[in-house]
Amino acid sequence: MNERTKRKRKAVSIFKWSILVLIFLVVLFAEFIAPYSYDKQARSEPNAPATSIHFRGPQGNFHFRPFIYSRRMVDPLTRTYEENISEQYPLSLFVNGDEYSVLGLFSTNVHLFGVAGDSESSPRVYLLGTDALGRDRFSRILHAIRFSLIVCSIGTLLACLIGIGIGLASGYANRLIDTMLMGIADTMLALPALILILAARAAFPLELPPTRAAFLLIVIFALVGWAEIARLARSLVRSMREREFVLAARSVGTSELKILLRHIFPNIAPTLITQATIMLPYFLLSEVALSYLGVGLQEPAPSLGNMLAAANDLTHLQRHPFLLLSPAFVIFLFVLVTRVLTMNMRSSAAGRDDAAPTI
Amino acid sequence: MLTAVSAIAFMLLGRAGGDAFTTLRDNPQVSAETVERLREIYGLDRPVSIRYLKWLGSFATGDMGESFHFRVGVAELVFSRLAKTAVLGLAALVIAWSVAFLLSFLSVRFRKRWLERLIEFLILITASTPRIALALFVLALMVWTSGSALAIGSDSPASFILNAFVLAVPLIAIFLAQTHNELNAAMGEDFVQLARAKGLGENTVVIKHAFRAALNPLLTLFGLSLGGVIGGSVIVETVLGWPGIGALMVTAVRVRDVPLVMGVVVAASIAVWLGNSLGEVLQLVNDKRLRDAENFFSKE
Repeated sequence: MNERTKRKRKAVSIFKWSILVLIFLVVLFAEFIAPYSYDKQARSEPNAPATSIHFRGPQGNFHFRPFIYSRRMVDPLTRTYEENISEQYPLSLFVNGDEYSVLGLFSTNVHLFGVAGDSESSPRVYLLGTDALGRDRFSRILHAIRFSLIVCSIGTLLACLIGIGIGLASGYANRLIDTMLMGIADTMLALPALILILAARAAFPLELPPTRAAFLLIVIFALVGWAEIARLARSLVRSMREREFVLAARSVGTSELKILLRHIFPNIAPTLITQATIMLPYFLLSEVALSYLGVGLQEPAPSLGNMLAAANDLTHLQRHPFLLLSPAFVIFLFVLVTRVLTMNMRSSAAGRDDAAPTI
Repeated sequence: MLTAVSAIAFMLLGRAGGDAFTTLRDNPQVSAETVERLREIYGLDRPVSIRYLKWLGSFATGDMGESFHFRVGVAELVFSRLAKTAVLGLAALVIAWSVAFLLSFLSVRFRKRWLERLIEFLILITASTPRIALALFVLALMVWTSGSALAIGSDSPASFILNAFVLAVPLIAIFLAQTHNELNAAMGEDFVQLARAKGLGENTVVIKHAFRAALNPLLTLFGLSLGGVIGGSVIVETVLGWPGIGALMVTAVRVRDVPLVMGVVVAASIAVWLGNSLGEVLQLVNDKRLRDAENFFSKE
């Protein structure tokens, strides 16, 4: 390996780990990083563009501390805003704002950044503008990443548990049960997953409160997603069953269940974990698709999908495409990172080494 | 298999959670008795199992019922929309395959480092671009340049190309990776050496000999990618407004049209099954060894 490839690999690994750490920080501390709560409205500033952050005052003098101006809507039809440069509001780190609780342990009102001395009269800082209801899009994205990721991770976990259970049983059971279980799995796999998910979703009321919708989505993901991992687990168990160490364990009188759990499972676990990592983006994209269509995670709780639905407002999309599509960039980045992360592990899992997300 | 799928789907759809007339209940001009009478006429007051058996009975005779929302037969509606998606999917497959074939051909023909890099990069990018993000991006680009989404939302040629392109992008990753690998592997085989030794031109060697050998795994992939195309069409057609089966599914779910949802699920499974079978048949056409093996087994 020459110097150049080494350096390139290092850069790639720094990139992917820093993004991953960032995502974890967001999941854990979304309220702290976000300047506002996800449902706090500014009724005077709907569909506003991002706040411009200034370093230079009106006289051209330089300020070390960035500041913003308050804004006023000048044309409600086109949603144009004008800055009022008579008064400056400096930004600051660790400001007091909305009350929230950290990991359910203690409550505080300190936010990473915001307008210093935040009061009802001072303007708010919107890094990505506001949505149609005047809520801060940046804060909503942070909460959306958390909400979407938690729902999809639990869904993946549940699907894996069911799938591994069925796969192990199928790999170890007699012919009849095996054929039956794998027949069901093949039926599930033969259908386009999104069509199946949508059909399952259609069985429930379209409008649900956010927590119930999230719960429903998790259940649907688990019910639709178990088949793939079950197939993988089964084939791995089948190949492991014939190995010498299993024979050795059996010859000293170990029970079959113990062989399965203590000897076979640890050997196939890494491959299954890789497969789970590959499945996570699929579920995330299914969530995005469902929420975008209005039948997934529901307002007022933000999710990457229901935030994207704002792009249906074409006139606004024309004016601020990047603001409205910012959740799409987050999704792209997440899929990219999980892909880079699993690139070396991929070829060993499932044999489908270059399957792309299909949603 | 089809029976199993339809039974599961029907049981799910049949349970509580409202039906096509739920929204009518909120209408002050429609009395509760009218809603009940409507449900009786359409048989919605009967238990799920009876409804399913009835549905299965008429499905066996080719009758898939009538859509509550569109007021036309489900079969005609679903299959005309499926045809639209099939054309789109075919175009997407052609796009993805031409890119994959062209780049892999150039890379084994000329063996340039930058071509390899380009292929790697393209696989990574196309595999990480979800169709929903790309479709919305295309939509944004359209309204940004032309100021309207008029070109989108119809079955005009422009809309067709855009839809097919978005549908094709994740396929490029799959096809390119596979074609590239297979072609590279085939180039190391003895028969390629033989073809060269016979004095054939390098282009002929690659296209007629190596590519032919690399084709079979790609044909399997063709069948497998069909499920992806239909799944992907849900989002692409909704965002970019192509009147195909994906958009129909979304409408059916939104208006809780059970016969239509069932129709789409059944049609999608038939399409995927047909695609897989077609892939297998094409493999037999391409590979004489497989044909011989099949004959061998059938004689026994």
